[in-house]
Amino acid sequence: MALQALHGVDYHCKKANGLEDDENVYLGNMSNQCQLYMPPLSKAESQVGEFLVDECGRKIKLNFAHGTTTLGFKFNGGVVMAVDSRATSGQYIGSNNVKKVIEINPYLLGTMAGGAADCTYWERVLAKQCRLYELRNRERISVAAASKLLANMVYQYKGYGLSMGVMIAGWDKKGPGLYYVDNDGNRMPGNSFSVGSGSIYAYGVLDSGYRWDLSDTEAQELGRRAIYHATFRDAYSGGVVRVYHIKKDGWVKISEQDCKALHYKYAEETKTA
Amino acid sequence: MTLQCLIGAKFNDFVLMATDMSHLQSIMVQKGDDDKMYKMSSNLVMAVSGEPGDTTQFAEYIAKNIQLYKMRNGYELAPSAAVHFTRHTLATHLRSREPYFVNLLMGGYDTNTNTTELHYMDYLAASVPVKYYAFGYGGMFTLSIMDKEYRPDLNQDQAYELLKKCTSEIKRRFLVNLPKFRVRIISKDGIKDLPHIVAEGEPA
Amino acid sequence: MQARRYDSKTTIFSPEGRLYQVEYAMEAIGHAGTCLGILANDGVILAAERRNTNKLLDDVFLSDKIYKIDEDVACCVAGITSDANVLTNELRAVAQRHTLMFGEPIPCEQLVMRLCDIKQAYTQYGGKRPFGVSILYMGWDTRYGYQLYQSDPSGNYSGWKATCIGNSSAAAVSILKQEYKVGETDLHEALLLALKVMSKTLDMTKLNAEKLELATLVRKDDKTVITVLPVEEVTKLIKEHEVREADAEAAKQEGSSKKSDS
Repeated sequence: MALQALHGVDYHCKKANGLEDDENVYLGNMSNQCQLYMPPLSKAESQVGEFLVDECGRKIKLNFAHGTTTLGFKFNGGVVMAVDSRATSGQYIGSNNVKKVIEINPYLLGTMAGGAADCTYWERVLAKQCRLYELRNRERISVAAASKLLANMVYQYKGYGLSMGVMIAGWDKKGPGLYYVDNDGNRMPGNSFSVGSGSIYAYGVLDSGYRWDLSDTEAQELGRRAIYHATFRDAYSGGVVRVYHIKKDGWVKISEQDCKALHYKYAEETKTA
Repeated sequence: MTLQCLIGAKFNDFVLMATDMSHLQSIMVQKGDDDKMYKMSSNLVMAVSGEPGDTTQFAEYIAKNIQLYKMRNGYELAPSAAVHFTRHTLATHLRSREPYFVNLLMGGYDTNTNTTELHYMDYLAASVPVKYYAFGYGGMFTLSIMDKEYRPDLNQDQAYELLKKCTSEIKRRFLVNLPKFRVRIISKDGIKDLPHIVAEGEPA
Repeated sequence: MQARRYDSKTTIFSPEGRLYQVEYAMEAIGHAGTCLGILANDGVILAAERRNTNKLLDDVFLSDKIYKIDEDVACCVAGITSDANVLTNELRAVAQRHTLMFGEPIPCEQLVMRLCDIKQAYTQYGGKRPFGVSILYMGWDTRYGYQLYQSDPSGNYSGWKATCIGNSSAAAVSILKQEYKVGETDLHEALLLALKVMSKTLDMTKLNAEKLELATLVRKDDKTVITVLPVEEVTKLIKEHEVREADAEAAKQEGSSKKSDS
């Protein structure tokens, strides 16, 4: 701290309060990504997330439904990540072509569930931090460290209405890594995770088909299958099923298939079988 | 009251701590090998439950400060002093804009006085030295068993059996699925892992 | 003359790499009343020379050179008294802050270290004058038992078995080096040794209880007891010391006369 003060570094996360220097306040996050502008409320920090009221006077929670299905699991051959591509706003489908796997760098992937903007923003900040880490330390950041950076950044804004449930996966010195991070400040390592409204359906398929010694193609197919079944049952999931595979020398995009095409393909397979 | 379950019991020359291994999120068990215990020093363990996020952040903050103390002074903070420091930190944050919502049990062995210590602490920063305690709904099922069966002179095996009794009651009567418990023992030899308890017991 | 350019600001090194202001502060202590501390097997003692002995002075204070800091720590100071008051206040606050944080008394070395951090800061930050105070601390803690520390204006500190600060401290330390018996000194012997050193170094012909302050720190029934010895007791000790000196002198006379005889 003392050293920081000596160098005149203003520690990040100065929460702006109101009207002093509008331009600086609004665009503060351009120079420091952890300096977000607070909503213009009298007690911004305590009111975020509960100031919206619907036509009946009920509070609208600013907690986006996790209308998504994402999954990731570690196995013998690395990490497989699979996601759908539907973005919903309330009852409506906003887009069916969202990229829910965020390519942080050639060795790190992040998934996105919850608020799309929150996930993209913070994972981009994370990407920057990871690159700086590489330049400073002449080695790639570990998955554990990357996920902790994200968790700590997000924890600073706990209770301010962020909404995200992400998985950070990659390959480092310790081999494959998979972490779950969310806006509560949770961060945990694990062998398999699924996040989003369709996760219960995805887990059903994933858990019953999961083995450590799956072959690469089996694992990719398991991820694809789990997402497909989630898109089938969950109205908030759909679009394209994207599958990524992280191996020793970075991630590879395996497939991007329309879930409708998959549906008929799988239906055909059951018929012939 | 939380769904997570922390159990701690202090005996004449060791402390046993057990925490459930399920990480719950809404209706799901998100993880079955969670660790809710944090190592503070070579002979002090903190078991934490409460608001997700706060638990890790708080436990790690305290742990790192206790480590810092050791590096600065060349010796470790005594368990009672560490507990006092934890309570102080929690109490200071309680009236701040961002309080930590955590309940905790701290179990340790004081190598200076050769005594075992177990402290209860809730999110309001009330700290009480106890012989045994259990947090969460799961704790309600186990406290009466402890009241009946606890004796300070139990040996390690007997104490482990007592914990088993508690966890099987949780399995039998509690609606939430907490099948596995991580168990650690703190004694003059430091902190050691004991085999996980996989709760036995049929629903009533 | 050379020094002139570099001694007005504490933060500036002289070309020879010296900090003159800090050295001057140390110099100031060389003129202050002597303080000495001795570690015994069963306690610690501090002895201080009292200079303000005016009979018109109202004795509102128990002692003016020895301060109780915490339950198990006391210190005596040599240097500018007003600076010392600031530092002892700070010491007491540091000790209380530790107790508030950790629920136990502060270990001696930590207390000394904290104060030295402050002293050091005053040798580095611009526009500040170092504290013209050296301090001897006696204390007890659970880790290392009885302890004796010394700190000076530069912010250095060190632990001792017996040491001395203030006027003619160098002479006193060399006597201590000769006379102190490691591991064989009990509290009473330590007090007498203190008197011996004081009588040899102070420019007084005869020791005087009014001009001396003696304090002891011992553990009794699991509690630390710090006592500033009352004048009567000091007088008694001085008597004992004088008798012993006289005996030694007599023995020496006898020895030398025998020697000359043979």
